[in-house]
Amino acid sequence: MASLKDLKARINSIKSTRQITSAMKMVAAAKLHKAQDRIMNARPYADDIETLLKTIINRNTQEKSPFLRNPKKEEVDSIAIISINGDKGLCGAFNQRINKKTVEIIAENKGKDIDLICVGKKGYAYFKKHKPDLIKEQYVNIFNNKEFYHSTEIMQLVANGFLEKDYDRVLLVYNEFKSAISQELVKKQLLPLQEELKTQEEEKPDRFQAPYLLEPSATRLLTDLIKSNVDIQIWRALLESYSAEQAARMTAMDNATDNADEMIEDLTLEYHHKRQENITTEIIEISSAVEAL
Amino acid sequence: MANNKLHLRITTPRGILLEQDITEVTAPGKEGYFGILQGHTPFLTSLGPGIMTVYDNKSKQEFSVHSGFLTIDNNEVNVITNKIEKPKEIDKSRAKKARERAEKRLREQKEETDMRRAEAALRRAVARLKVAK
Repeated sequence: MASLKDLKARINSIKSTRQITSAMKMVAAAKLHKAQDRIMNARPYADDIETLLKTIINRNTQEKSPFLRNPKKEEVDSIAIISINGDKGLCGAFNQRINKKTVEIIAENKGKDIDLICVGKKGYAYFKKHKPDLIKEQYVNIFNNKEFYHSTEIMQLVANGFLEKDYDRVLLVYNEFKSAISQELVKKQLLPLQEELKTQEEEKPDRFQAPYLLEPSATRLLTDLIKSNVDIQIWRALLESYSAEQAARMTAMDNATDNADEMIEDLTLEYHHKRQENITTEIIEISSAVEAL
Repeated sequence: MANNKLHLRITTPRGILLEQDITEVTAPGKEGYFGILQGHTPFLTSLGPGIMTVYDNKSKQEFSVHSGFLTIDNNEVNVITNKIEKPKEIDKSRAKKARERAEKRLREQKEETDMRRAEAALRRAVARLKVAK
């Protein structure tokens, strides 16, 4: 049985842990709020780029771009995987899920060349330990100061790789922010463009649709557009992942705070029992001593 | 549309910068400046570094643009760019320094300098300074 002093010490230490977890929860909530605003702001831009791309591909169908090459599944022999993690832990299964999924994809593509691009310290640390030869590039600690050029850097890397036929496929794995309590694991193919983009018809049949006049050449424009599209998709994934991380941390810290509360309650109860017991024993000792006199 | 109006929208990853009816816009295309009035044919172009000017009757607004796309279709002008600045956002001293650096690089013509990048940097800096004053 623990002594009164031990119990008191445990209660105090849990109380201070509780303070930390509840503060972390509030910090995460504030950060989530900000991150959500940024997603909302980025959305029209991402949608516009995508619409533009669809329009060009569907209206000016004869245009060609080296980005439109699409190797058949069995001909694919090199893949780039961009795996987006967080820089910090204490957010439930957030980081493990991404790592697990990435490992799964690697296993599915056994025998092919795989280049890993790790975003976030947690993923980088994991793969440095388990599959160090696959890591091509890592971006750690970029979440504190997310700027657009980070996604542009990654975009240049994969886009050039795709153009020079170093990569036949470029995949993106990240946690998407669904709501404050749920995140969804997303695996997305960045390059080549997904089929759905090409086959979708424009939904404005009543209007005369002339092909766009393009300047400079269509090939260069398409290339620029596709690059911008990949860029914004990565940027969006970074934002989504960051929001999801904050949401996951919020939930995890909320649970931790609840657990701490429960433990404090239990321990306090035990403490009172113990104190009562001690007093009773003391009284018995005194009264039996008196009797003996 | 009797009122000669175009509808302009400038979208950036940080949100919609501007959305209003205008009468004319001139912008720096990759192949040179161009102007757009009402009734333009569907047109898509990428933007190079330069100054975009938006006219609404007599009032005029200037922006410094570095890259992006401009489309016009059915009198709706969409500017989609991740690098655009309003005059008051421009850091003049930084732009001045950038101009000097670029000029120096172009003057010296060392072999290892990327001339195209230096030129683009110079054009960006000049556009910034012009808008800012």
